[in-house]
Amino acid sequence: MTDPRLASLAEQLPGLRLFTAPAELEHYGRDWTRRWTPAPLAVALPTSVEEVQGIVRWANEHGVALVPSGGRTGLSGGAVAANGELVLSLERMNRVLGFDPADRTLTVEAGMPLQAVQEAAKAQGLIYPVDFAARGSCSIGGNIATNAGGIRVIRYGNTREWIAGLKVVAGNGELLELNRALVKNSSGYDFRQLLIGSEGTLGVVVEATLRLTDPPPPSQVMLLALPHMDALMEVFALFRSRLSLQAFEFFTDVALRHVLAHGAQRALDGEHPYYVVTEFDAADERAQEAALAAFEHAVEQGWIEDGAIAQSEAQAAALWRLREGITESLAAHKPYKNDVSVRIGAVPAFLHEMQALLGREYPHFEVVWFGHIGDGNLHINVLKPADLADADFIAQCEHVTKLLAATLKAHGGSISAEHGIGLVKKPYLGSTRSEAEVALMRGVRQVFDPKGLLNPGKLFD
Amino acid sequence: MKILVGYKRVVDYNVRIQVKPDGTGVVTDGVKLSANPFDDIALEEALRLREKGVATEVVVVAIGPADLTAHLRNGLAMGANRAIHVVTDAAVQPLTAARVFQRLVEKEQPGLVITGKQAIDDDANQTGQMLATLWDRPQATFASKVDISVESGADGKATVTREVDAGLEVIEVELPAVITTDLRLNEPRFIKLPDIMKAKAKPIDTIEFASLGIEANDHLKTTHYAAPPKRSRGVMVKDATELVAALKQKGLL
Ligand SMILES: Cc1cc2nc3c(=O)[nH]c(=O)nc-3n(C[C@H](O)[C@H](O)[C@H](O)COP(=O)(O)OP(=O)(O)OC[C@H]3O[C@@H](n4cnc5c(N)ncnc54)[C@H](O)[C@@H]3O)c2cc1C
Ligand SMILES: Cc1cc2nc3c(=O)[nH]c(=O)nc-3n(C[C@H](O)[C@H](O)[C@H](O)COP(=O)(O)OP(=O)(O)OC[C@H]3O[C@@H](n4cnc5c(N)ncnc54)[C@H](O)[C@@H]3O)c2cc1C
Repeated sequence: MTDPRLASLAEQLPGLRLFTAPAELEHYGRDWTRRWTPAPLAVALPTSVEEVQGIVRWANEHGVALVPSGGRTGLSGGAVAANGELVLSLERMNRVLGFDPADRTLTVEAGMPLQAVQEAAKAQGLIYPVDFAARGSCSIGGNIATNAGGIRVIRYGNTREWIAGLKVVAGNGELLELNRALVKNSSGYDFRQLLIGSEGTLGVVVEATLRLTDPPPPSQVMLLALPHMDALMEVFALFRSRLSLQAFEFFTDVALRHVLAHGAQRALDGEHPYYVVTEFDAADERAQEAALAAFEHAVEQGWIEDGAIAQSEAQAAALWRLREGITESLAAHKPYKNDVSVRIGAVPAFLHEMQALLGREYPHFEVVWFGHIGDGNLHINVLKPADLADADFIAQCEHVTKLLAATLKAHGGSISAEHGIGLVKKPYLGSTRSEAEVALMRGVRQVFDPKGLLNPGKLFD
Repeated sequence: MKILVGYKRVVDYNVRIQVKPDGTGVVTDGVKLSANPFDDIALEEALRLREKGVATEVVVVAIGPADLTAHLRNGLAMGANRAIHVVTDAAVQPLTAARVFQRLVEKEQPGLVITGKQAIDDDANQTGQMLATLWDRPQATFASKVDISVESGADGKATVTREVDAGLEVIEVELPAVITTDLRLNEPRFIKLPDIMKAKAKPIDTIEFASLGIEANDHLKTTHYAAPPKRSRGVMVKDATELVAALKQKGLL
């Protein structure tokens, strides 16, 4: 540890674990994006709130930038440390601190993986309902910092809905206790809400109190094959009006090809351009009859070509894998990711414009569409041709993202539905937020983190 | 060759079973019911034998109350040619079920009966064995692989790999026979939604249990139901030394 700043950190916090080996710097210096070369100063893995405060105070003293870091499954470069920052990893703060049966809340340290949170809730006979494929690796702190969404938003909303209280270390090292799990608290600004989605730029989340809820009734999972894009929102409207939906997700034949090649089990024969995985309450035969009736109606309307229904939990998991396995199956192709949203009512028109735009601009690239269509959220992944240099590929994609951002702006949509702005979407923030809003964001940031040490360069410059 | 398949409806594998407060049974009202997982495997195997040309007809059989129709339609949607529904509101014990199958076997003259090794509600693991005895035909239980070719089927032979305590055992049985399925035999196919619609046109024969002339001889008496004792909280130990000490204290080392 030759760097005098690190020596002073080790001296101030003798118990703190610090990593400086090149392999660890690389491992902790990047997230799921692979665009930036990791180059952190070091990695700190505190185990207590006091240690986090100590690190932030030390950073203020020495002017060292900090990158709050969770499971680093982020898809927008929010947890990337490429400029000599200290990575502040919450990985070792991963315990359950308490369950309150009267409040039905679970209090956990911020580094706890989402899946461990879900299991702790289940052990109490309740659920923490935010869920998505990165559950085993992503942290609750990262979920909060990006206001993560996922596959149950249609029923349960985003992470924001489930945060009863937060403990946060602000940019000056001060510990804030935000909302203390109160259901009602009309006492001025709610900083808890401001912290949710702040991408590590306002404070380090160290603890969270999460609301839990009752498990849903038994459900059924269907895979539907659709003949054309316009059928997507027709089927969605029909199913939503007749069934109690828990999830409604879509993907294309191109996406299916990749997950099947990656080991998923084929459920339907034949070629179909669009697919939907949907899950809905089906406690009794009446609900199942209603689902079949909805299916029949959609077939008569020409909106559905084929479908399969899971007969067991294993089959339900196999159908879900077709949707949830997509991100992983694409990783080797270094995809350029778009994560956009519009109002549900604007989806059909937006889809048509997108299809025309991408068909025109990406004639030679493979484009994979999937996403949380029931929330108006679409993931568009452009795959890098093997013979194209990374930088050229990204330059071409950035050109298209400018056009995409303009289309989104016209529809009042968002350039980041659930992954965050991070580094990847920073140039396009202005398509979603007005100048006045961005100016206010800067002002807020100045208040929480006067020296600008928390995740500088992310979200905006 | 015709294959009869036992296709029982049970409380879904994933439902958290709750015992009624008075201990007279488990709660089934408003609870999801599905095909017994081992019976799904039995049906899948029968369908594969038909697809191979070994069997010509697959018949699913369920014994139970009048509302089993939707359940049987699932079996038909999965691919069975027809269904037999033996209607009774009473609980059916393994011996009674075996006797019902015996009557159906006399009537249908199948070359093979495939059932699950057990149903996950009472976990009895008896019906297939009892049927084989009543029918006086060979049995191959806990099957993890079934080999019948068109030729060997015509010769009246099936080779079955069984899961036994010591590992795997391969036996040859003469047909007709009873095979009961184990978990690894196959992975049941998905039911196609259009096939559920088409299944409405497939025949379901209903037979009143009383008309079979079987005495429901209930030898088994259930005194009461109780939930398993809650697992007590584990004890956290600091290190290996403490762990060894704790194990020694309990006399486990
Ligand atoms: C296979 C796959 C599927 C995915 N599916 C979805 C999906 O359906 N929906 C969705 O929303 N996202 C999805 N994601 C993206 C990602 O998993 C989420 O954004 C997740 O919430 C990030 O959590 P993390 O702990 O990995 O955060 P990281 O990547 O470590 O960090 C993300 C951001 O949060 C900040 N941060 C992390 N911890 C803290 C903290 N304690 N305090 C303050 N700031 C912090 C970081 O600085 C960074 O800006 C998916 C990712 C993968 C790889
Ligand atoms: C009989 C009775 C029962 C009540 N029960 C409840 C109850 O059950 N729950 C509850 O929450 N409250 C209750 N209240 C309190 C009150 O009715 C609520 O606070 C209500 O939301 C205030 O609305 P108002 O339009 O009367 O606001 P005002 O009294 O006019 O203003 C309240 C505050 O809001 C600001 N404000 C008003 N309009 C705007 C605007 N357009 N933009 C920005 N700021 C604005 C004002 O500056 C002020 O600070 C009750 C009051 C009464 C008299």
